[in-house]
Amino acid sequence: MRARSSTLPITLGELARIGPLAGAELHLADPARGVQQVVLAETFDRLRHCTPHVLVVLHDEAATGGWSLAAALHLAWERNVSAVVVSRAVADSSSAALAQRLAMSLIVIDDDPIEVALQLAGQVSAPAAARAQRQARLAELLAEQTGIRGVLGVLNRELPGVPVALTVGDVVVAGQTAALQDRPQTERVEIDVHTAAERSAGRLVAAVPVPGPAGLDQVSAVLRLARPALQAAWARSRLDAAARAAHEQAAFGLLRRLAGEPRVAVSSDPAALEVPSWTAELGWQVGQFNRAVWLAPVHPAGEPSDDVTYLIRASWQRGHSAWPLVADGDGWVSWHSGADPEDAAALRRALAAFRDSATAHRLVIGVGRAHQGVAGLMRSVAEARLAAHVARETGPGVVQWFDQVGPAAALAWLPTAEIAQVADLTLTELMAAKDRAVLVQTVLAVLDAGGSLSQASRQLGVHRNTVLARLARARQLGLTYDEPGQRLALHVLCYALTALWNDSGAAQSPMP
Amino acid sequence: MTAPAGYVGATASITADDVPALYEGAKFYSPAVGDAGRSSVSAWLAGLLERNGPVPLLRVESVAPDTPCVSVCVLGSGSAMADLPPAGDEFVAAVRQIERLQRVRFGAIYPLAAATISALVAVVTAAQLRVPLLDADGMGRTFALIHHTAMHLAGVSPTPLVAVGPTGESVLVEVPSGPRADRLLRGNVDTVGGWAALAAYPTDAGTLRRAALPGTVSRIANVGRLLLDRPDPDVLVTRLGAITGCRRVARGRITELEHLSRPSDVTIPAHPSSLVVEEIDGLTRQLRIELRSEIVAVFADGALIAGAPDLMCLLDVSRGALATLDSLEPGDLVDVLVTPADAVWYSPEGMEMVGLASHGIPLAHPRRR
Repeated sequence: MRARSSTLPITLGELARIGPLAGAELHLADPARGVQQVVLAETFDRLRHCTPHVLVVLHDEAATGGWSLAAALHLAWERNVSAVVVSRAVADSSSAALAQRLAMSLIVIDDDPIEVALQLAGQVSAPAAARAQRQARLAELLAEQTGIRGVLGVLNRELPGVPVALTVGDVVVAGQTAALQDRPQTERVEIDVHTAAERSAGRLVAAVPVPGPAGLDQVSAVLRLARPALQAAWARSRLDAAARAAHEQAAFGLLRRLAGEPRVAVSSDPAALEVPSWTAELGWQVGQFNRAVWLAPVHPAGEPSDDVTYLIRASWQRGHSAWPLVADGDGWVSWHSGADPEDAAALRRALAAFRDSATAHRLVIGVGRAHQGVAGLMRSVAEARLAAHVARETGPGVVQWFDQVGPAAALAWLPTAEIAQVADLTLTELMAAKDRAVLVQTVLAVLDAGGSLSQASRQLGVHRNTVLARLARARQLGLTYDEPGQRLALHVLCYALTALWNDSGAAQSPMP
Repeated sequence: MTAPAGYVGATASITADDVPALYEGAKFYSPAVGDAGRSSVSAWLAGLLERNGPVPLLRVESVAPDTPCVSVCVLGSGSAMADLPPAGDEFVAAVRQIERLQRVRFGAIYPLAAATISALVAVVTAAQLRVPLLDADGMGRTFALIHHTAMHLAGVSPTPLVAVGPTGESVLVEVPSGPRADRLLRGNVDTVGGWAALAAYPTDAGTLRRAALPGTVSRIANVGRLLLDRPDPDVLVTRLGAITGCRRVARGRITELEHLSRPSDVTIPAHPSSLVVEEIDGLTRQLRIELRSEIVAVFADGALIAGAPDLMCLLDVSRGALATLDSLEPGDLVDVLVTPADAVWYSPEGMEMVGLASHGIPLAHPRRR
């Protein structure tokens, strides 16, 4: 039968975290090694009569330095002692090397050996009290932490051999990912972390080796201790982030007014506009060449919520904490500032790192050109926004550079939804047809090809006769594309419908 | 294989040609001593032997039992002797003073310790007095104090003894108990110039037959010849083993030198420190070599494998020569050699006097376990 946890002998790993050994220099061969008794050894004779599993504190004759520690370590090894504690004056690096060679735990202390031995004896004789003391110390350490990473740092440090991670969904937010990996002889301990609204926000996960130095119930107690600190840190970081977001948004608005937005043309002297000093407070760089990035949802749905902004900020600023992220309209603006307008390497790296997050959040990304000063920044922002609109045609995760857009960008501004409504009203017969998608696609291809049936059939991958037949049916249903007065309107309409249907995929009818 | 040139075996006499070998051999038996006094004393002795002719080296048994004999040695520090070289008459003066006191004429000289510079000054004294040198001594190596001798263990009193300094001043000591003599002398050595010529243990050859350690002078000459030959370290260790019984316990690289003196509360004055050597082959053990004024113990992974009165020394592998303790540097590759001392030192009385306990190491000697 398993012994009750309160009477299990205390381990070296536990002792090392409390009381007199907390600040000691540790060379532990096996932190899981139990300690049954403490012996204060004054002489080698005493050492020679030690029973196994005791912790020996060397003192007086047995700790004269040089040879004595080497000899004591050897004797301790012969007697299967748990660990040897010795004062710093006696130990040197060679002693640590020898201890490692003999697989003997060596603990180097700065305090008086007799006092340390007395304290240790008390702890070893009452393991439950020692464990309680350890948890109290842990609670103090956790209370000092103000950030999520700090709390996880304390947990991982204080639970040696037990990786701990904080997860949201299946994603590790902080701590060691090893906590989530399935390994043999480990048991998982999980604790829910709630937000203020009693919603389960995350989960503390620890992988506890079994059998190991830390019992399951102990780890679970420690994780529960960490919960309030974690919740507080969480709430504070949300609060901080919200305040910063509002600050940045206001600052960006001010900057835009300074530059005389909305205005696409840059003033004749880009340096004429002075960079306001308050941008530096936010850590922004504006004075040099700015290249703006516009992050926007594929399907814009008004202004994004604070929660989404928080998440986007977290992943965008990973590794680029100085880069701004300002919620603006239906997307977010960021920019990179540098002395060399041609140098976009840092931005390319950041975009590559952000790609997964962009896909996960269904974002498209537009990148403007590099322009100087505040006015240049605003121009680049406009370019980036345009590029992002173009990118929406392709799908989430796409990065569109303004340099590669050209006049085709105009199409990106078409209000496809509204135009589709026009089609619903004016081309009722066509919109009621089951094969409307194929017909619209064919007409668009023919118009795109300037009326050339052979080019259109090649592009669509069907026979010329099929194209002809579809065109005839389209004309019957009201798609009179060959009337010059209606050609532009119908071309735009076909483009808008195709774009809309490609996006949603809902109106697709089965191909004939 | 040719034997080393001039292998002496049981030597009949010591000539000027034997001086370098004597010096090297004497160094082997006291590895702590540096080279400070080498050139002056060796040259002095070689000159004397050339002028006065060879000194006869006699086994104790071949001398008439009633022949009065006295031992000589250098007391104090070798570096002081280099600073203030002997005028030349100190040892003769010391012997003559005891002769006057005891109204005898010594018929033979023997070294108190056939090691260090003391082995050479015994030959010097014999050459100056024109008497034979006995092939025997009191220690068979060096120990720190003048009563650490086989004669003391056999009940021979070190006194009356005379110490003559390089300034010409002398101290005569007569005590009923041997260990007191050292304490009395130690206070005087500094005053007479940092070192002194000592003449002690006046006795007769008959007593020395049972009290002294035989054959030790010719032994250092033999060892010295081997060392001068400078063979490959492996060959050297094998040959030394044949003469002295020494063996190599490990070959390793010095990784740490602890210079800090630790407090010690033991009978022998010295500054304890230690040396860490990582064995480079075999078990790759960590050796800790405990130093006082000489190597007093060798621990392998914390287990005592050799200790005083064993004679432990380090052989610098790259140079193929003995390493003196003041020349060691981290990174040196050394062989740790252990030579058993003469059997008398492993008796309970001998161990009590010069064993590990006298150096503050309360562990059982590996040879007695």
